[in-house]
Amino acid sequence: MIKVKNLHKKFGDLTVLNGIDEHITPGEVVVVIGPSGSGKSTFLRCLNLLETATDGEIYVDDELINTPKVNVNRIRQKMGMVFQQFNLFPHLTIMENITLAPVLLKKMTKAEAIQKGQELLARVNLSEKANAYPAQLSGGQKQRVAIARALAMDPEIMLFDEPTSALDPEMVGEVLDVMKDLAKSGMTMVIVTHEMGFAREVASRVLFIDQGIVMESGTPEEVFGNPKNERTRNFLSKVL
Amino acid sequence: MAEWASNFCDLFYKCFIKEDRYKLLLSGIGVTIKVSLLAIVIGILIGMLIALCNLSKKRILKIIGGIYTDIIRGTPSVTQLMIIYFVIFASVNLDKWIIAAIAFGINSGAYVSEIIRAGIMSIDKGQTEAGRSLGLSAYQTMTRIVIPQAVKNIFPALCNEFIVLIKETAIVGYVGLMDIQKAGDFIKSATFIAFMPLIGTAVIYYVLIKILTLLLGRIEARLRKSDAR
Repeated sequence: MIKVKNLHKKFGDLTVLNGIDEHITPGEVVVVIGPSGSGKSTFLRCLNLLETATDGEIYVDDELINTPKVNVNRIRQKMGMVFQQFNLFPHLTIMENITLAPVLLKKMTKAEAIQKGQELLARVNLSEKANAYPAQLSGGQKQRVAIARALAMDPEIMLFDEPTSALDPEMVGEVLDVMKDLAKSGMTMVIVTHEMGFAREVASRVLFIDQGIVMESGTPEEVFGNPKNERTRNFLSKVL
Repeated sequence: MAEWASNFCDLFYKCFIKEDRYKLLLSGIGVTIKVSLLAIVIGILIGMLIALCNLSKKRILKIIGGIYTDIIRGTPSVTQLMIIYFVIFASVNLDKWIIAAIAFGINSGAYVSEIIRAGIMSIDKGQTEAGRSLGLSAYQTMTRIVIPQAVKNIFPALCNEFIVLIKETAIVGYVGLMDIQKAGDFIKSATFIAFMPLIGTAVIYYVLIKILTLLLGRIEARLRKSDAR
């Protein structure tokens, strides 16, 4: 579904990604771990072109997407993204947050979008908040709305960029529950996170990224139970 | 006290009632409002255009926007008004008040553009990223997500600019328009009384701006609806 070949990203002189090759297949839940500054968020942002790769190729459904010829907006509609800072639209109600893109991009009529919005809000347990504004919600609630908003576009892939890092500890669980539920439904997901327990439980594959390359890749049992790479062992000993 | 009051009434009569002088002030109010309203509209349009130039990635547009703001802010508005009236529009057959409104609009546009630019830059980058990540185009993200939020942020500064603009129009007498200020001045010359016409002029401006402030305050309260917690 997503193929990445020899991905490089430089910010000025600073090399953040130094040649990543990866293949993400449909239904996979890939959890990306690694120390801060390792390039894991940049990797995720390159996938939906929020960052432009300096070198290398990214294919989505066998279509090369990091080329000027491609319609970026069409590609992004296939990929939902959830941000660390939620980034809900504060001037719109929760329902408007969810329906804005599907209606504006003519994927659905307004009535269809509202119905879909109600289904999604029910799925993230926030039905009663449809007419509230983001400022009236807690962090965990905001992030669940952000997930619903991304799902409203019927994406094939969901990207999560440290979705629980900005949350108070007691709210982390409710967001992870929604993500677990989503993983069970068969959604293809790429998740950058520091929640190792979650990674172990939900991931079909764990990637350990450091210094801009994939140091280790495998099932949670392999990576957490029997890490082969010295750096992975080192990192895990600090966070577990 | 009684003497003071009767003196006041006498002055009031001489300045505003006698020879229907209040009509002069009334038509002056009309001129001030006409010029101000048109100037505000022109100012907003020019302001948006220049703000887009300043925010653009194209160097030539940035330079144009920079020069415009630089020249307008660096010269007095009276000078600009007179240049536009007596030089640029000298041979153009347009109503005086329209030419004046264009001049004030051009002036205001420079300030409005800076307000708009600051407003757009005040919106967190994450908002744009969220919009784009949903598949919205840059234009859709700007018009549906960034600008509605920016408007709310810049509203107080914009109101301030409108108020400044209305008071600034008190110089239109320089190109022969009879606005509130000029009408007051005219009465002063005709009656040789300074106190009453000048205080009257001040009161009229004050009331006009007070009404505008109240109206704008209501609009702002509506814009702030989504901030409720």
